[in-house]
Amino acid sequence: MNMLKYKDVINACRFCFMCRHLDTVGNVTFKEADTPRGRALILDKICMYRKNLKNPDFVDTIYKCALSAACRHHCVSHYDETGLVLAARRDITAAGFEPEKVRQLATELKANAGVELAGGSGEIIYYVDSYSAAKQPEIAEAFRLVLAAAGVSCRILTGDSGKALLTLGYRDPAKAVAVKLRDAVAESGCNILVTSCPASLDAFKNDYPELGVAFDADIRILHTAEFMLELLEHGKLKAGHNKKDKVCYLASDFLKNYNQLGEIPLKLLQKIGAQTAEFGTNREESYAAGEGAVVYDRLQPKILKLLCNRIASLADSPATDILLTVSPYTKYALATFSEKKLNVISLEEFVAERITTLAPRLKTTAIRARQRKRRARNA
Amino acid sequence: MANYEEIMMISKDNYMYAMIRSELAWVLGEENVSSDDSERLGHSIDYYWIPEMWHDRGKTPPAPDFIVHPGSAGEVAGVLQIANKHKIPVIPWGGGSGSQGGALPIYGGIALDTKRMNHVLNIDVKSLTVTAETGINTQHLEWAVQKAGYSTMHFPASIACATLGGFLAHRGTGVLSTKYGKIEDMTMALEVVTPTGEIINTLPVPRHASGPDLTQMFLGSEGTLGVMTKATLKIHPVPEARKFHAFLFKDMHAALAAGAKIMTSRLRPCVIRVYDEAETAKLIKRVLGIDKKGAYLVCGFDGPLKMVELEIQLACAICRRENSEDLGAEMGQSWWDNRYKFFYPPYTFQLPQAFGTLDTVATFANIENVYWAMKKTVAGNFPQATFIGHFSHWYEWGCMLYARFIIDAPPEDPLAAAALYNKIWDMAIRAAIKEGGVINEHHGVGLKLGRMMKDLYGPAFKVLAGIKASLDPNNIMNPGKMGFEGI
Ligand SMILES: Cc1cc2nc3c(=O)[nH]c(=O)nc-3n(C[C@H](O)[C@H](O)[C@H](O)COP(=O)(O)OP(=O)(O)OC[C@H]3O[C@@H](n4cnc5c(N)ncnc54)[C@H](O)[C@@H]3O)c2cc1C
Ligand code: SF4
Repeated sequence: MNMLKYKDVINACRFCFMCRHLDTVGNVTFKEADTPRGRALILDKICMYRKNLKNPDFVDTIYKCALSAACRHHCVSHYDETGLVLAARRDITAAGFEPEKVRQLATELKANAGVELAGGSGEIIYYVDSYSAAKQPEIAEAFRLVLAAAGVSCRILTGDSGKALLTLGYRDPAKAVAVKLRDAVAESGCNILVTSCPASLDAFKNDYPELGVAFDADIRILHTAEFMLELLEHGKLKAGHNKKDKVCYLASDFLKNYNQLGEIPLKLLQKIGAQTAEFGTNREESYAAGEGAVVYDRLQPKILKLLCNRIASLADSPATDILLTVSPYTKYALATFSEKKLNVISLEEFVAERITTLAPRLKTTAIRARQRKRRARNA
Repeated sequence: MANYEEIMMISKDNYMYAMIRSELAWVLGEENVSSDDSERLGHSIDYYWIPEMWHDRGKTPPAPDFIVHPGSAGEVAGVLQIANKHKIPVIPWGGGSGSQGGALPIYGGIALDTKRMNHVLNIDVKSLTVTAETGINTQHLEWAVQKAGYSTMHFPASIACATLGGFLAHRGTGVLSTKYGKIEDMTMALEVVTPTGEIINTLPVPRHASGPDLTQMFLGSEGTLGVMTKATLKIHPVPEARKFHAFLFKDMHAALAAGAKIMTSRLRPCVIRVYDEAETAKLIKRVLGIDKKGAYLVCGFDGPLKMVELEIQLACAICRRENSEDLGAEMGQSWWDNRYKFFYPPYTFQLPQAFGTLDTVATFANIENVYWAMKKTVAGNFPQATFIGHFSHWYEWGCMLYARFIIDAPPEDPLAAAALYNKIWDMAIRAAIKEGGVINEHHGVGLKLGRMMKDLYGPAFKVLAGIKASLDPNNIMNPGKMGFEGI
């Protein structure tokens, strides 16, 4: 069993309560099982008696985990409670005991696998993940405007990265998807792969090498926050439009807890002179609405609603605060699942609105529409 | 060996299971009543070593039949009324981090998980109080109070593990208790749902001459006298400065004398901690990297900078007079920075080791005798056990001894392991009582120490038993804990 490789984690977590205050799901379901301790106890039981692997309550709990990795990040020894859950999911799917909804979702993801690289030129590929492509087109639109302002051209890559399949426990199908994407990038001859999607970034940087499909060593893999910061630092972009509105930055699980890049968006915001305000009561809790589970909206819509409502309840003034996210998934989740209307904006849109050279070109339909909406709300 | 499906006490095949579940669901909503195996497993083990060991050995500890998540005092009352009707035990469960087995559903029944009651209701900046529901995680409470510019000053090592209700129920304490008090000193007033389902409030202020104090009666009642649903606590301004200083004494005796002198000089440290030679060699070395022989002492002061500087100067002078080695402010600050690290794996003790915290409290006149009585009892009777201890939570009159025993290889047989474990407690705690100690200082009694309550209280235990019987005629509230009758 894969989870046996994490026996040290099981042994550490099964009787440990030290990070339970950060369990994203436990904080809204209030269940003992929805904590690293609760899950480790379950998995310990499974390691002791394999037949428990088919216990539907146990399996459900493992698929409820939002994989924010906030607990692992907090843990003094960084025990990989997140890796343990992923390993357990692989064991569950290998034994065929996954819940029907998981199986169906996987079938759908497998059917829609495939990548497309749009023509064009340049050394840069901008990978547009499925949330950006299907649900939040304004993010890619804003990023392209930023690139245009900086005089940078890029090629657009769309399609699945395999990250969702991987987090659901389907390693081999995920690998097959990864191979397609890796090959498409390799054939393009590009040397920078940028994405707005922290989940995809994590897949490219960490999962692909682990799956044995790493990109060529000289391909740089960057989140748009990193890339835009470089453009600013190299003087290719200039901050203008000294707008006075404050933003609350919602860190991404994948940037902060998986890749230690959580401070980059803040640096970028500082560089463009934005005023930031702390969101919620602390910087440890995940405010990314289940981003770590990649397709949490499909997997656990009821819990996602609770997560979004908790985030809304932590906003100082939900109607007027501008919540800035670096994750297309989070933007979609908060905009769609929160009962209170929230004012969510992506980093790309925020930057696009504040770049001097862009000012005349900014009036794209999408951005205009969003500005209108915000004005109406404020009024 | 038992497997997980075998432990249901009210069988799911029994139609009474469905009847009771329907009643609970009517009061709480279907989504707040559960009997799934994941939740039952989670509520069958708290931080008490015995259920952990039981699980580790592949055995299944008793689990609740239902887990309920009430969202208000009214819903708690509804659950207790149903439980009274069917005479089912109700076991309040906060974070499950109690080390005494207090929240264990030893007879099955309803685990009443308080975590859904997690709201901060009011921060009164004029009186400096906060009112919150008791299911709130204490780290979340502290964060909320900090956001308003204040602090609860309640910093237990389990701040992130436990609920406010759990601390109230066990009379818990944090690292700054020497100045800011234990939770019973911090509490202004309570809302309680009594075992028969009435919602009552204690008086709004903690100091009065309006009869005996009900707030203090419920504090430490460990879920046996009802469910505490709201509490008002004092809060404090964030101090301008907080500074620490550490010393190494040639032995524990000298360090204790210095600590007592600081307190009896009526300085107001927020922290004093003295580690015995064994714990200095084991834990202080491991966590703080100080590899020296002797007894480590850290003291800390907070408040306006000028006062802090003066007090720390006076405390340091007392320590220097006792021939100590000055480890400096940095080594004191390092202790503060790492204060919780001791409790994370792998720094904490872990199975297969057997370990327990024999915390007790006594006057300065008695505390060393208590320490030696416990140490000799453990060392003399259980050569396989290591005994270590530190003294934290200091009062004007004495201090708390946080003693621990550790056995690296306890018996494999779970019954033999439990028997050995219980025997150590029986002997060590009784030795402490003889020298003027009590059975516990801040972890409570629970299942672990209940059998010694009559010894400790003598005839006075009848008073406690009478209160229990009159408030809880059907003995539904956490039966078998704190020395009260089981079922
Ligand atoms: C790593 C670690 C470090 C610790 N450090 C400290 C420390 O520094 N200081 C300290 O004091 N303790 C410490 N503890 C012990 C523990 O955290 C405390 O005893 C705490 O008070 C338990 O709270 P809980 O919410 O987890 O309660 P639980 O374990 O769930 O319950 C404890 C008892 O309280 C009862 N109860 C719970 N909620 C209520 C309620 N609302 N009304 C009535 N009864 C209720 C339960 O029935 C049970 O009897 C530590 C524990 C751990 C795991
Ligand atoms: S991740 Fe670390 S802090 Fe969290 S339960 Fe595991 S060992 Fe404890």
